[in-house]
Amino acid sequence: MAMKNKITFGSFEASCITITLITTQLFLNLPRAMMEVAWTAAWLLTAYVSVIALLLFFIIDRLYRPFEGKDLLDLGEHIGGNIGRIIVGIIVLLFLIYITPVILREFSENMKIIALTRSPLSFVLLFFLTGMIIASYAGLESIVRLSAIIVPIIAVGYLMIITGSLRYIDFSRITPWLGSGPYEIFVKGAPRISVFAGIILVYFLYPFIRTKKNFTTVGYASVVFSGLFFFIGVLIFSLIFQYPTGTESFLPIYELARLVEYGRFFQRLESMFVIIWVASALLHLSILLFLIAYVFKKTFKLKYYKPLIIPFSIIIFSLAIFSHNLLSAIELEKHFRTFAWMVTFLLPIVLLIIARFVKQPAKKEGES
Amino acid sequence: MKNFLENLLLFKEPKQTEKFILKENKQDTEKDSEKASNKNPSQKSNKSKEKDGDTFLDKILGSNQGDDEQEPGAEKKEEKISKKLSTNLKYMKKVYSIPKNGDIVLRAFDIVVKDKTIPAFILFYDGMTDREVINNYILTPLMLLSNLDIKGNERKIIDYIKNHILPQSQLNETSEYTSVIDEINFGGCGIFIDGIDVAFAADVKGWEHRNVERPNSEQVLRGPQEGFTEILRVNTALVRKILKDEKLIVEDVIIGKRSKTPCSMLYLRDITNESLVEEMRRRLESIKIDYLIDSGELEQLLEESSLSVVPQLMATERPDMVAAHIADGKIGVIVHGSPFVLLAPVTLVDLLQSPEDAYMRLPYAHLLRFVRFLGIFFSLLLPGLYIAITSFHQEMIPTDLVFSIEASREVVPFPSVVELLLMEVMFELIREAGIRIPGPIGPTLGIIGALILGQAAVEASIVSPILIIIVAITGIGSFAVPNYSLGLSFRVLRFGYIFLGAMAGFLGITLGLFIQGILFVNSKSFGVPVTIPTGPKTATSFSNNRLIRLPLWKQERRADYLNTQDDTKQPKISRKWTEDNKKRKGDGDEE
Repeated sequence: MAMKNKITFGSFEASCITITLITTQLFLNLPRAMMEVAWTAAWLLTAYVSVIALLLFFIIDRLYRPFEGKDLLDLGEHIGGNIGRIIVGIIVLLFLIYITPVILREFSENMKIIALTRSPLSFVLLFFLTGMIIASYAGLESIVRLSAIIVPIIAVGYLMIITGSLRYIDFSRITPWLGSGPYEIFVKGAPRISVFAGIILVYFLYPFIRTKKNFTTVGYASVVFSGLFFFIGVLIFSLIFQYPTGTESFLPIYELARLVEYGRFFQRLESMFVIIWVASALLHLSILLFLIAYVFKKTFKLKYYKPLIIPFSIIIFSLAIFSHNLLSAIELEKHFRTFAWMVTFLLPIVLLIIARFVKQPAKKEGES
Repeated sequence: MKNFLENLLLFKEPKQTEKFILKENKQDTEKDSEKASNKNPSQKSNKSKEKDGDTFLDKILGSNQGDDEQEPGAEKKEEKISKKLSTNLKYMKKVYSIPKNGDIVLRAFDIVVKDKTIPAFILFYDGMTDREVINNYILTPLMLLSNLDIKGNERKIIDYIKNHILPQSQLNETSEYTSVIDEINFGGCGIFIDGIDVAFAADVKGWEHRNVERPNSEQVLRGPQEGFTEILRVNTALVRKILKDEKLIVEDVIIGKRSKTPCSMLYLRDITNESLVEEMRRRLESIKIDYLIDSGELEQLLEESSLSVVPQLMATERPDMVAAHIADGKIGVIVHGSPFVLLAPVTLVDLLQSPEDAYMRLPYAHLLRFVRFLGIFFSLLLPGLYIAITSFHQEMIPTDLVFSIEASREVVPFPSVVELLLMEVMFELIREAGIRIPGPIGPTLGIIGALILGQAAVEASIVSPILIIIVAITGIGSFAVPNYSLGLSFRVLRFGYIFLGAMAGFLGITLGLFIQGILFVNSKSFGVPVTIPTGPKTATSFSNNRLIRLPLWKQERRADYLNTQDDTKQPKISRKWTEDNKKRKGDGDEE
């Protein structure tokens, strides 16, 4: 505990890293995935999902009040001692170990498609993995600080792509307004709140950002900004690429970047996009790897997380080359995006409610 | 080898060490800490006053006594000075290996008083002392003064000599050999007189040295043109000349067992964070080394991480820079014999700033700063980007440009990485040789570099002209880095980017930037993260002389990360005349 309290950082840094963890899928296939569900109303689905996520976070934030500075594992311990902590830990670990190789694979495959067509996949994977390992060794503080520097740059780059492609928009492309229909969007589309799966990081950052005020700020800032980026991205994408065509593009934002041109000389700027794209990928993957090692360490009450980094990166690497091809990796991510909300939103709510009602008397006395 | 592999592969429990952190004052605890800091300075100031009052020699004596205590194995010294001159003479002759030692001068003479003759001798190093001063102000009074009235006890003679006979501003009376010896070693003159058990050490330093000249490595067009020299006291005076404040403390430390290099630590008593001063003092005093010649060595001894990619102390030749940083709450360290003064803690932004940034008007300063950043970008990334674009992202280059690059590359037999590395190595070679080349043949190097390497290589189709342009821009860019040490760091990293760019294009470059970023945010200079205004973000990120400079009148607070005792640099309205203007205007409107 003493070790933990030494590292602290502000809400700006924490928001930056959380936003990275949530929004990086925008650079993968989020606009397409949204379009597949809601057709021309992908933007509506995105807005809808963001609002739900905001509401859910509102509930979680309220429920979190008596548990200042505690992450999910502390809550598990609070409820069921060691067993509770280990159960929560294992759930979160499975969740993280499922998604990390998939994301790694997708990024590497896409990198191969965009630029390194002749390099073997494992070579590209290793590049990402190197960054992840080094960053995880450097620790949370470094990753978070770096994110505070990089994320604003990525955001500017992203907005440049969006503004650069603005002249191709046509509002008729998002008609019919309700796309696949209200039922598809508002009922079947609801599990899509899993796009905010990255918010899970906030629960684990809580001990580092310490105060409740910071927690609330970071949570809301992350959801609002991520939702905004999602919304802008999906809206612009569906305004430029019509429904059936849009579902076929591999890298929606990359496709947008390809349209960008400033004058006759700067016509092909999409390669610059690779830089912000890889930077966000590296940040995203680094924090995931760190989180895996950290959660494992905390779950099993180990003293150090650093020796876990190499074993876990080997596991992640192996799992990443497990899928046959990019499509099966995307398929895996689709499954993830259907169920991830259970871990990110349901699990904390359930834990917080149980922690509140079951153990309330004993704890409340102690706290007040 | 086995050990190395084991270290690499196996996990070892890290040692529990607590590193120095320049603690941030929380807003809630600010008042408490203020109280505490108010208390402390008073205690501190007493101490400092005492220290300030002491002469330089006292400190030499103090620390050397400590040294001697620690080394019982060293040559056993007779501690106290004897009353008998012959004993003293014998002892000093032994210590200075007279007559084997050529440059030590021992001059024996008599002080004649009425009918009595008191033998005496002086001892000094020829060349390190001012002969005029010794002749006129030590020997003349002693030898020609015949009115020495010996009536009372010995103590009075000592006082008489000290108070009336020797017209020296820095004359130390001591009863121990070591202190006289130390003073003689540092250009002093030892005076021994028969019948008294003390000796005098007069400060008659007078060695040859360089005058105050323009700084070599940090020239500016606008701003002071003075640079530090090799003499400690000249350097401290250069700083004091700018900061005319009695709260500027110059604390002396001696470093080096053999060289006994005097170093001074400069800070403002009522501004600089005390824990920072404490930490610097602790580090300086704990250094045990044989000899210390330059501040470059001291920098390596003071920094936390020897392999860090960022310099953790800033070295500068400019007194105005040092004064400005000290006034902002940093600490300066001057090493005798080095024209480079160290400043700590530093951030990356400090290292990227030139003093001109502050002296120029705002728009020009920003233009200069922007150009400088561009230069840094080129020096670090241009060759890597060139390789990445030409090998992996050709589509980025506009068609016409592709044609011209391709046409120029067609005849070149090497792949572009080899070509680039060849040129970069050549360029580094020219640069390195350029420093060492004797003056008169200097221009030859330019001819060789420009003609043979440039033109001939292109004509012989060994390299393409576009590459010459790339290397040239990179070279020019690298000279735009204001801090030499950081410039070197970028020079090394550039090669990394070339390899990464050649391996994986933009993916490699971005990975490189990411790793460099991780290394940067991981580096600390005296407990302060070097990337401070942005990561971690601090309260005064943009309100100070940071990435974007605000107008001078807007720089109201000191840098947040320094956690100074006094946060405010200037009042909210520092240009009082603007208020008067407003008043005047208001009156006019009413009328």
